[in-house]
Amino acid sequence: MSALDDVQEEVKPDMTPMIDVVFLMIIFFICIDFKVLESKLAAYLPKDKGSQSTVVEPQEQLSVKVYVESEGTRKYEHGGPGQVNPATGRLYRFKLEGHRTKWEVGPKPLYNLADVKQELTRIANDPSSQVPDKDTGGKKLMGCVIEAYPGTFYEDVAKTTDACSAAGFKEINYGGGLGTK
Amino acid sequence: MDVRKLVQQNVEMDMTPMIDCVFLLMIFFVLVIDLSQKNLEDLILPRAEYQEPDDKPPENRPIINVLQNGAVVYEKNVIYDPSVHGKNYAPIKQLLIDIRRQGLLTKRLTLKEENIGGKMVGLIDDPILIRADKWTEWNYIGEIMKQCSQPEIAFWKVELAMSEQDKETGEKNKKIGGTR
Repeated sequence: MSALDDVQEEVKPDMTPMIDVVFLMIIFFICIDFKVLESKLAAYLPKDKGSQSTVVEPQEQLSVKVYVESEGTRKYEHGGPGQVNPATGRLYRFKLEGHRTKWEVGPKPLYNLADVKQELTRIANDPSSQVPDKDTGGKKLMGCVIEAYPGTFYEDVAKTTDACSAAGFKEINYGGGLGTK
Repeated sequence: MDVRKLVQQNVEMDMTPMIDCVFLLMIFFVLVIDLSQKNLEDLILPRAEYQEPDDKPPENRPIINVLQNGAVVYEKNVIYDPSVHGKNYAPIKQLLIDIRRQGLLTKRLTLKEENIGGKMVGLIDDPILIRADKWTEWNYIGEIMKQCSQPEIAFWKVELAMSEQDKETGEKNKKIGGTR
């Protein structure tokens, strides 16, 4: 064996650590994908609820009503209505297709979310929407109350809330929607 | 060198692959078993763009899960099932009273006395999180909020869970993959 052959044998890389690292990275990225970041919406309730003896001044608020025009069709990817998934012990999940919502921002009826955002932004920028701020003595944007009517889903309310936040409303309250269809 | 010495030399084990495997398993379980997620049901939350990220949730915050059919789940136990209880919301009320009592006893929740309209009201000053599937009827969530506002419960800091990604449609907020 010549000296050149010896050198060629020595430079053969050991692949084991590289494979280890690759496996570590694969596991890391597979696991990290499971965690979807959640966000939260602070829906602070009125503190005076239930204490009937107190008198609270009524506040001027913008009414945003949410109605369901068409519930849509319930589609099950697995299982069917009322069937329990044995893996989770919970009912199989459905998704709604063709679900349509209608809004009323103040007195104005609207049929898509983009128009709702536009109308809310217009109202938020209108100087007449400013109300006295008891805390600072200055002015602030009035609050809005989302009234979800029977048959509406969490998705409808969440999208409406998002539209209110996008328009700049800070005080968002909830009313209605407690009755079933 | 006798035969016994030779045998002793041959049985020496190379520990490196075993240590590699142990590290791999450790990383796997650390990432997969996140104890803070134990109260979370597998739900598809509605996507919201303009809400506050919930990346540092308080440890003492009670979490109420609402399934698609309106069933209320707390710490993996079904507390209220619409197909069983119908419009009898007493189990939800009792759950919230129990959470309040237990939280105050263990000092995980703090009570704040506040003068509202000339009357002292004991309010829970810590938030409670409601997680519901995006296709849950709002009246079930509204009912929990109504119960939270009752004076004997007084969880006034209600938070609604939303997501930065809609796992049903795959839509993501623009921030994901950008600044995060």
